[in-house]
Amino acid sequence: MLLSVDDLAVAYRTSRGDARAVDGARLDLPQGALLGLVGESGCGKTTLARAIMGVLPRNGSVRRGRIVFDGIDLLSLPPERRRALLWRDIAFIPQSAMNSLDPVYTLRAQLREVLCGRGGLSRGAADDRAEELFAAVGLDAARLAHYPHQFSGGMRQRAAIALALALKPRLIIADEPVTALDVIVQRQVLNTFQDLSRDLQLSAIVVTHDVSVVAFLCDLTAVMYAGKVVEYGATRDVLRAPAHPYTMGLMQAFPDLDRDAETLVSIEGAPPSLLDPPPGCRFAPRCSLAEAACRTADPPPLGDAHWAACIRA
Amino acid sequence: MPPAETVALAAPRGLAWRRLPSLAIVKPYATVGIAIYLVFALIALFAGRIAPYDPLEILFAPDGQLAASLPPSAQHLLGTTNLGRDIFSQLVLGARPSLAVGITAAIGVASIGTIVGLLSGYFGGLIDTILMRLADVVVGIPFLPFVIVLAVLLHPSLTNIVLSVALLLWPNAARVIRSQVLTLRQRQFVEAARMSAASELRILLIHVAPNVLPLSFLYASIAVGWAILTEASVSFLGFGSADTISWGYMLQDAYASQALSRGQYIWFVPPGICIVLVVLAGFLVSRGYEELLFPKLKD
Amino acid sequence: MTHVLRRLVLMLLVLWAIASILFLMFRLMPGDPTTAYIDPTFTAEQRQVVLHQFGLDLPLWRQYAIYIGNLLHGELGLSFRYRAPVAGLILNVLPNTLLLTLTALVIAYIFGALGGALLAMKRGTWVEAVTIPLVLATRAAPEFWLGMLLLAVFAFAFGWFPSGGAVTAGAAFPSALARVTSADFAHHLVLPAATLAIYLQGLPLLLMRANMLEVMQEEFITMARMKGFGEWSIMLRHAARNALLPLVTAFALGFGASVGGNVVVETVFSWPGIGRMLVDAVASSDYPLAQGAFLLIAAVLVVMNAVADMLYGVLDPRVAHAAG
Repeated sequence: MLLSVDDLAVAYRTSRGDARAVDGARLDLPQGALLGLVGESGCGKTTLARAIMGVLPRNGSVRRGRIVFDGIDLLSLPPERRRALLWRDIAFIPQSAMNSLDPVYTLRAQLREVLCGRGGLSRGAADDRAEELFAAVGLDAARLAHYPHQFSGGMRQRAAIALALALKPRLIIADEPVTALDVIVQRQVLNTFQDLSRDLQLSAIVVTHDVSVVAFLCDLTAVMYAGKVVEYGATRDVLRAPAHPYTMGLMQAFPDLDRDAETLVSIEGAPPSLLDPPPGCRFAPRCSLAEAACRTADPPPLGDAHWAACIRA
Repeated sequence: MPPAETVALAAPRGLAWRRLPSLAIVKPYATVGIAIYLVFALIALFAGRIAPYDPLEILFAPDGQLAASLPPSAQHLLGTTNLGRDIFSQLVLGARPSLAVGITAAIGVASIGTIVGLLSGYFGGLIDTILMRLADVVVGIPFLPFVIVLAVLLHPSLTNIVLSVALLLWPNAARVIRSQVLTLRQRQFVEAARMSAASELRILLIHVAPNVLPLSFLYASIAVGWAILTEASVSFLGFGSADTISWGYMLQDAYASQALSRGQYIWFVPPGICIVLVVLAGFLVSRGYEELLFPKLKD
Repeated sequence: MTHVLRRLVLMLLVLWAIASILFLMFRLMPGDPTTAYIDPTFTAEQRQVVLHQFGLDLPLWRQYAIYIGNLLHGELGLSFRYRAPVAGLILNVLPNTLLLTLTALVIAYIFGALGGALLAMKRGTWVEAVTIPLVLATRAAPEFWLGMLLLAVFAFAFGWFPSGGAVTAGAAFPSALARVTSADFAHHLVLPAATLAIYLQGLPLLLMRANMLEVMQEEFITMARMKGFGEWSIMLRHAARNALLPLVTAFALGFGASVGGNVVVETVFSWPGIGRMLVDAVASSDYPLAQGAFLLIAAVLVVMNAVADMLYGVLDPRVAHAAG
């Protein structure tokens, strides 16, 4: 396994108590695989992604669990050692490249910063590599001289991908990489990303709320609900034969690639408060298949190739 | 002295001024500011009873000698000036002109700024162009030199200082209020009032004006400090009102009496501290108030 | 480009408006502006000669036309008091004012930028709770009072610095340049520059702090952390670099404003600058000189306001490209 997350819990201190954004999450990513981490907004998927990067907001902290990358437990590494892994081994593609690119530097400068500052390349070598990267993500090299605001949304997202690929990381975490784009551009950027992942044999976690992105891109799927990964397995298996009632609902709530968006059916009710989650299975209050036992017992995420945290599974 | 307090152009939360009473409780800085204001307001109000002497009276010792340059004592809490005047009495009575100048100038700045901002933003077109170009011109007039020249040309008095402060400091308030009015105009309740054929003046006064009042108050609170500093500077330069004892006058008197070379700190340190406290109080209040209006600025 | 042109046209219009306001202010005031300088024993004829010499016997509109025409040639008239061209008198003291202002501003903005950045990083600590009221107090203190304190302590009590003037009285220098680069000049500059700098640093400091706090919330700062850069390098290269932009504009605005605002500091330290010249001219009813000094101060202010606007466009790539 390239990356294993086990029993991870991340909480934010708020004025009304701790919000347990991630609470006992588990997932595994083999070398060379693309894993889709899918769930509704607020389910903790972005927090999980940031926890893997080790960059949480000031009020957030990891409370327990393990994040093992290539045999190293990231959480027990001293901060300096952990920082050394960032971008060289684990890179990040943000949701909105508009805000995540520094507005006062050209893209060449921002690539150079990473290539020289973290990759140890000379200026000349960095500039060559920058052109190579831009070509790889389908951007004109002349664009390197431009500032982020001169790019269109799709181009910025491509530039963000180029930045992430700069140091040939072994793992890429992409947080809603195409959400901010319109449908046509989404498709183009996804195609580029798919080609790159095949050519470069990328290992990546793609965080998204959109099942169709997962279906299109990912080998593996992890479904997250209220801070937990509730189902995990090969995308084919999870989408065709979902084992968790929440995944079943999610499949109905999101149109697949061929179906029309208007057939969208949402799951009734709302996710539980993360400040004071109910005992037992967190999906039980919304689950049409829930039994009495569901309200007391919280089924652990057990299994290998395809598992679901549900007593029915 | 540029009126360069920068205020973000974000729209304030609706009717934030209702929360005005909570200002003192929520923002500790503002609490301190309001407390300082209250103390000085009380001093100014009862100055006649607090001050043991007439501040302009030249005092004599029992032996007939001029009671000049006396050190602090039970009789003269802060000693006497070069001419034998009681410093403590001057300090107490000096609170009056300072506060009066600060408050009237603040009202002037806020009134002009609000009216110009409302007219400019609401009616737009030629009125807007003229008023905003006028604001450009006023911003180009050097502040203190203008106040000095006007004070001399119109003859030195507190009224003229207030007048020149009000004449020069309104553009910042007007510009911000104008842009606030521009966004308000797009809002539904103003649109609705238009549809119901309410008169323009009525819409302006009933629907728009109340929503920019918090900004007017913010700029008024900023202007208090500027006006007090201006009065002090003008008095210090010798263009102040001759028959009013203000803190600026005391500083000028001390400077002219060679307080610095004679090491008479008691002549110029207390009035300076009073100015700092009152102006600081204004800054603290306006900062707290600004944070209340624009919660985004909160750290 | 049209943006720059429009800004320049506006600048000229504002200058013209201020020159006109000033003309009216001085001419429409009650009393004859020459009374202060004409000996009461003058005969009516002698008085007429003097009035004619200053062009004061012409109708108002002719005077205005001549005034504007002269301004366009950089001609500011004759000082009543010195009987010398105003332009020359002003140019003589202008370098003193510019040097004082620039020295103070540079110190204030370097200190303010660093202090503001550090304060932003210390947010929520006792350092912040103590420093902010202190900084506000420096902004609340009258400049001349700060100057008086420094003078009383460092010039009179300790005797470390001279108490006034720009050079020691009677000192001779081979050239103007030698004068302003001399150790004597620098020695005289310390206290007035320090006074101004203490007064001026508050604005850049608070501005820098507010900007930093805002920028530190930005996603690209989080991204820089994810890229594995150290905290200091992020603060410098990204947070401070972005937060500095508005400070450059504020510097230009501050320069324009403090040339006129120096009036009190120059007076306290008897600094032979344009502000003190204005005060003296006003006090002694030397209207041409007062008018000339006022105009020059206004011109610096108006030009710097325009520069600040345009600088913002140059420095911020977002604005620069949006404008053309």
